Amino acid sequence: MRDPRVRKIVLFLAALAVCELPAPLVDNNYILQVLFRIALFAALGLAWNLVGGYAGQLSLGHVAFFGLGAYGLAILAAHSVPVWIAVLLAALLATLVAAVIGKIVFRLRGPYFTLATIACGEVLRLTATNLTITNGAIGLTMPAVFTGPWVWKFYYVSAVALATVCFLVNFWTANSRFGFYLMAIREDEDTASAVGVDTANYKLRSLLLSAFLTGLGGALYGSAFQFIVPDSVLNIDVSIQMAIIAMLGGAGTLLGPIVGAVLLLSTSEIFKTQFQESHLLIYGVLIVLVVLFLPEGIVGSLEQRLRHRRNVIQKPATAAPAVSAPEKGR
Amino acid sequence: MTQFLQACMNGLLTGALYALIGMGLALIFGVMRIVNFAHGAFLMVGMYVTFLLFDRLKINPYLGFIGAGIFLFAFGYLVYKLLIQPIRDRSDFMQILMTTGIALILVDSAQLTFGADYRQTNIALINSAAHFGPFTLNSASLLSFAIAAVFIIGLREFVVRSRTGQALRAIAQNRDVAPLMGINVIRIQGISFALGIAFAGIAGGLLLPALYLFPSVGEDYTLKAFVIVVLGGMGSIEGAAIGGLALGVAESLTSTYIGNQWALAIDFVLFLLMLSLKPSGIFGSQRA
Amino acid sequence: MRFAKLIGVIFSAAAFLFLFGCQKDSARNVRVGVITSLTGSQAAFGEAHRNGYAIALDEINSKGGVLGKKLELDTYDDQSKPEQAVQGVSKLVDQDRVPVLLGSYSSESTKAIIPAVNQRQVPLIIPTATADNVMDSKSPWIFRICAGANDYAHATLDFLKANGAPKKIAIVYENTNFGQANRRSMEAAAKEAGMEVVAIESYEAKSPDYKPVLQRVKQANPDVIYLCSYLLDAGTLMRQAQEIDLNPKYYTSAGTGFAAAEFPTAKGAGKNAEYTFSVSQWLPAVQWEGSKQFDAEYFKRFNSHPAYHAIQAYAALLVAADAINKAGSLDSGKIRDSIKVLDLPSTPFGPVHFDANGQNQHPVLITQVQGGEYKIVFPQSAADSKPIIPAPHWSERK
Repeated sequence: MRDPRVRKIVLFLAALAVCELPAPLVDNNYILQVLFRIALFAALGLAWNLVGGYAGQLSLGHVAFFGLGAYGLAILAAHSVPVWIAVLLAALLATLVAAVIGKIVFRLRGPYFTLATIACGEVLRLTATNLTITNGAIGLTMPAVFTGPWVWKFYYVSAVALATVCFLVNFWTANSRFGFYLMAIREDEDTASAVGVDTANYKLRSLLLSAFLTGLGGALYGSAFQFIVPDSVLNIDVSIQMAIIAMLGGAGTLLGPIVGAVLLLSTSEIFKTQFQESHLLIYGVLIVLVVLFLPEGIVGSLEQRLRHRRNVIQKPATAAPAVSAPEKGR
Repeated sequence: MTQFLQACMNGLLTGALYALIGMGLALIFGVMRIVNFAHGAFLMVGMYVTFLLFDRLKINPYLGFIGAGIFLFAFGYLVYKLLIQPIRDRSDFMQILMTTGIALILVDSAQLTFGADYRQTNIALINSAAHFGPFTLNSASLLSFAIAAVFIIGLREFVVRSRTGQALRAIAQNRDVAPLMGINVIRIQGISFALGIAFAGIAGGLLLPALYLFPSVGEDYTLKAFVIVVLGGMGSIEGAAIGGLALGVAESLTSTYIGNQWALAIDFVLFLLMLSLKPSGIFGSQRA
Repeated sequence: MRFAKLIGVIFSAAAFLFLFGCQKDSARNVRVGVITSLTGSQAAFGEAHRNGYAIALDEINSKGGVLGKKLELDTYDDQSKPEQAVQGVSKLVDQDRVPVLLGSYSSESTKAIIPAVNQRQVPLIIPTATADNVMDSKSPWIFRICAGANDYAHATLDFLKANGAPKKIAIVYENTNFGQANRRSMEAAAKEAGMEVVAIESYEAKSPDYKPVLQRVKQANPDVIYLCSYLLDAGTLMRQAQEIDLNPKYYTSAGTGFAAAEFPTAKGAGKNAEYTFSVSQWLPAVQWEGSKQFDAEYFKRFNSHPAYHAIQAYAALLVAADAINKAGSLDSGKIRDSIKVLDLPSTPFGPVHFDANGQNQHPVLITQVQGGEYKIVFPQSAADSKPIIPAPHWSERK
């Protein structure tokens, strides 16, 4: 009775519990830090997924929201705004700027859109480098959101919490009317618009949601590492990393960004300690291999295969439908 | 007024190199619709090739750039065959991902091979200047401008007159019909990619004496190349040339009258303005 | 499926390496933690660090190592990113349990790791970060080998005061952490010294054309130009200064690009480098014992001459080894205490001794390029040549 739903909830809670396990069990701050980054980038990948995956709008400018979250927190807290309120306000600031950026970039499509998002991120980076309020390239010290001997446990738990929120937002999107509109836009924007979907509106809404979550992520990340400069939190590398995480795992899937974050960040850390300066080379080879052989991302490709197999088993008479794009998870 | 004209001229000299970079990307991205995020990395490879020719064989960079062009043509074709062709029909984003991976591999390979050290060629010509009335122009920049002009015109003639060029334009106009007309799309696309990369290499070779060399030197030029292509209008080779020159002048004027720290920002502001106001670019007529 | 398998194989191989890597921690050797930039925008300087460390390491081990054991480096690449440097502290201290840390390269990465180092109560020896906010924390765990941006500004101004006391100064700086930090120091110090700052211009590094920047400086007609240029842009700046015929009486600079071994040679700016003054922390030609040997050894190994970044790294490792030996243990607190009182009167980097704030009182030299070589012209005690002032106009140079 109501079996699938209950099972899903139980499964979700169990997975969450497993994710939280390291917090009480691991005492090594380094491992906690690596796990924090994995969880945080899983959250960022999921936030990106709303725009890049479901709505199919391939943004490479998300670092703008990430950086605004971090800089917003630093500047507000320096003006004695209580830290948690500052985190929230910083994320709202990111959302506000996202509304402006969205107005500019959503008029464009395809690679134009992608390039325009890059430009927005770069303009913010250059502005932060040249302004006094951001202390230019010299950088700002971040307020600590957590203190005490267990900081990294707290940071890790809060990153997992953020990832969970992002996951739930993704889940809701995948199963709501809002999400279906987004996916319609992804499949064919003109048709979606022709059948009465307010495409501009829905794209913007997905961006605002995504920017808010990314801003929270940026604030948390900056605070965890205590010091920010434009070249770290407004670096285009962050945008690319968010996108690669989602695409490697499988854009537009629920689990993809999580798998992508775990794979990419753990391997990059391992490669770095093992191979010193050649780690970027190996990282590059990994990306190339995945693009060549797992085009829908890891989760996307596995899902396709599973679906294919199920179709073959269940309906041997009919051929498996050609799957043109990855669909929502499970 | 003198200052203004001098700034414009300096801008044009730099702009000619931007034009080469932009035309290379216009072939790859504008015409062939391959989103190449490794363009700057290929430019870096061109610089290293030119540098090696200078360092080992004492070949002047203003000759050595030809070697870089030839090498990168072959290298570009190889990369196309191995890595780009298998994904040519995939989404833009798969291409972005792939070319980002290629860029990482190229940059890190350069660092492993040559070290992260900064290198430069110091040739005599770069220190001499030509005077025209109140204006002063660097001789090396003038030479690279002249060379760039030859290649810009050459590429344009190639695209307009040669059979390959015609096939290339046919594909640009309609990718679906071109194969029906007996055009080998894959072959042409491979050649365009290789040619575009070769132009990045040539630009790298010409840039070398004025700049210096390190593994990640190309990074800034990838974005610049896209800005140029969009300024000039997608799919237009001439447009990219004009876009490159315009960008050079815009940067020069910005640093003369506002401050050099905003010169990079002006690239992106222009870019966003252009996309918002006239997405077809200065010259573009067709647009996807 | 085969690629799911492949990824599985890569993953498990990597995991194996990772675990294996953690195992090799042995009681036989003493490990010192190093954070530097092996990749990313500052990789070239990370390389200089690594080379300097390598020479020091061999030297220490050939003399018997520390505490009778072999010394070993445990290096973490911060990818030229501050947050990665912070993670490096955690890796090296929490995971690998090194008793002392060296690094990072840049001021921003170094500034970023200070709270983390403080929390873990491990001594940090800073070889190269010159921005002065690095030493703001006043933490008892932080020690800096190099002189800072304020020292650069003051040394330059002292030199100017003693040599003609010019009135008008223009500052040209690259728009990065290094440039902005040095501009701030100089702007404040020059005003304090009663000079008029007539122009402050910044530029975006790594571009081929700085003539507009220099043209704006020319219009302000300064007596002195103070250039804060990190990279080989120094060569481009001087070449284009010649091109637009910019003729201040003094070209002064905040080191780095203007103090690189190649800068005055044909491989660098060549003749355009003549008469430029620069602050310097070290030169192969300096009087300190062992500096020429260091230069020779470096050249033998790496086929290029070292800039001061390499020897600062070298000195940092010497300090660490000496402190461990004197502490007689691998306890971080004891090592810290022995660094505090450490007094090395003669190293190739000059005397090393830290003040109450953890700063090594390293003398800043003023050099001038004369005849294609760096000559030390200030302070008097270290000088080997007289400064040539004013710099001749470009039209009068050969």
